[in-house]
Amino acid sequence: MSLRSGVATAVGKSSYWFLHTFMHGGSSLPGKLATRIDPELLKTLGKNYDVIVITGTNGKTLTTALTVRVLREKYADVLTNPTGSNMEQGIVGTFLHAKRSKTGRPLAVLEVDEANVIKVTQYIKPIAFVFTNIFRDQMDRYGEIYTTYKKIIDGVKLAPEATIIANGDAQLFNSVDLPNPKIFYGFNHQEQGDMMAPTNTDGILCPRCEHVLHYHFMTYGNLGDYFCPNCGFSRPALNYAVTKLGKMTPTASQFELDGAPYQIGIGGLYNIYNALAAYAVGRFLDVTPEQIRAAFTSDERVFGRQEVIHVGDKDVTLILIKNPVGVNQVIDMILTEPEPFSFVGLLNANYADGIDTSWIWDGEFEKLGAAGTGDNPQIKAFLTGGERYKDITFRLNVAGVADPSVEPDLTKIIAKIKQLPTQKVYVLATYTAVLQLRKQLANDGLIKEGMDA
Amino acid sequence: MATYQLKIAHLYGDLMNTYGDVGNILAMDYYAKQMDTDISTQLVSLGDHFDPNDFDIIFFGGGQDFEQTIVAQDLPSKADAITEFIEAGGPTLAICGGFQLLGQYYIGADGEKITGTKSMSHYTKNQKDHRFIGDTIIKDEQTGEVYHGFENHQGMTFLGDDEAPLGVVSEGAGNNGQDGTEGVHYKNVYGTYFHGPILTRNGDIAKHLLVEALKRKYPNQDFSAQANMEIPATF
Repeated sequence: MSLRSGVATAVGKSSYWFLHTFMHGGSSLPGKLATRIDPELLKTLGKNYDVIVITGTNGKTLTTALTVRVLREKYADVLTNPTGSNMEQGIVGTFLHAKRSKTGRPLAVLEVDEANVIKVTQYIKPIAFVFTNIFRDQMDRYGEIYTTYKKIIDGVKLAPEATIIANGDAQLFNSVDLPNPKIFYGFNHQEQGDMMAPTNTDGILCPRCEHVLHYHFMTYGNLGDYFCPNCGFSRPALNYAVTKLGKMTPTASQFELDGAPYQIGIGGLYNIYNALAAYAVGRFLDVTPEQIRAAFTSDERVFGRQEVIHVGDKDVTLILIKNPVGVNQVIDMILTEPEPFSFVGLLNANYADGIDTSWIWDGEFEKLGAAGTGDNPQIKAFLTGGERYKDITFRLNVAGVADPSVEPDLTKIIAKIKQLPTQKVYVLATYTAVLQLRKQLANDGLIKEGMDA
Repeated sequence: MATYQLKIAHLYGDLMNTYGDVGNILAMDYYAKQMDTDISTQLVSLGDHFDPNDFDIIFFGGGQDFEQTIVAQDLPSKADAITEFIEAGGPTLAICGGFQLLGQYYIGADGEKITGTKSMSHYTKNQKDHRFIGDTIIKDEQTGEVYHGFENHQGMTFLGDDEAPLGVVSEGAGNNGQDGTEGVHYKNVYGTYFHGPILTRNGDIAKHLLVEALKRKYPNQDFSAQANMEIPATF
């Protein structure tokens, strides 16, 4: 370690200690201070690790957590970054406060923001990249899906020997020729038909001949077994696949990977993709199927973002929503709830939420409207709130929910939730609305504060 | 079944569908129901024939740069028919890229000139490394109506002498950040950079489009009740 790196590391570590001890948090400031002293610090810190970078629009956090869980079944020393610390300084901070390994060369599984991949590969040559998916996100910040993928690729080009472990059902990941070794995972659970994506889907043009792609089947968003009827471009052969789907509820999913049964303690098709990605990384690093099966069920807290909170006699499930494909997956997931429930939608439009609320119109709230009408509806009550309560209320109006309860004041939402007619309550909320609601819940002593309970 | 039926042509809806633009169709459907009218929507995309007599309303949304260049290659086969629809007073809503492509041309992200349908006289230039992003408020000076939206565009559009803006900007950048105009209102065409979407936040524009379409399709019926319908504020 150079003198400069040594000083930088010391400053970083001591500021981490100070923040952690006195300020209860702070994972980006130590990295900020340390990289100011030594901009190339990541090179020094990362060189003793075998690094796996996980990136994409949706599913980064859970894929990272599950991958860590899987790898720890075989490897003693697996470092990872805490939720939300997926930019350069957060990653530096992660290495800064890692304990020194006693067992040889440790692994580091890093969730990395799409635009920050290059900031990692400038200094570290990972052994593998994992690409989850690329969907329209908060476009006021990230721009188009092609731009996002290009940012990732710019980073990958600095590490041509790293194995790319990519979602094979996403055509974008098959659109640029790269020298890297490749492993593809995806779904192979259906008979092959011939269909086209629904009108409001993005990224459906063949990257070779620019005709509209067809699919043998689709899973969700633009994901599926795609092919181009014009030029023959098609999904690559899959190395690892979901071969069967079993029972799915909001709290559990059963499925088969390469013909063997697995389960995870969370609902939603998108989470099966996350589990499949973790499985692919595990198999890549010689973790056995038995070990992976055990890892998936070893600790339910890995699914923490979707915890159940007890509010009075209600079981409240709080779910973060941030983009159209994500909200559609969440809507499909909560509709697998076997019991009647109430729906709460909280919409904010601060920077972290995305300042443009237009995306809610790409969400299939009509499915909720349909589930909330009729003689014995599955959804018994609707409640809206958040700073942009008018937007979410009118979205529900148009979706067929004529008269949802409206509570603009987030401090009163908990009282309103207690009055809902069902035991089960699903709260879908954008990022800052989740934070605000959690603060209220913490004030009321219903949860401990913080995002990572 | 409702008394009246209207059919929307969703131009390139599988390629031009950013920022919740599909919400405009949902909003038209929502307000049409209150007008005793059923809406049906048909996708008209690459290689499809477009007959202006088959449709009552055109909706043309915004797209990503790549998709927009593909659409521009297909557009000449439909340009005359689209212009015919517009010149005959056909109600049309065009957002962002759709708005640009109904004009003379636009300059793409890499400086290339992409030809529009030339149905209207506006044209669009490109600004380097900058986008107009944020909430916008405009006022239609003729009707006094105030419209709310969210803009997110790199293009700078300039209206022709025969075109009036949809409104005058009181907040945001508008067409080009220079002349205080936003969008276009030409015959029964509403062109705009507004997302939000425009019709979910500004139900009056949905009402204008629907009432014009009803009048054209059912010339002997009285639609004054529909035209006088109160649209509650949603934003």
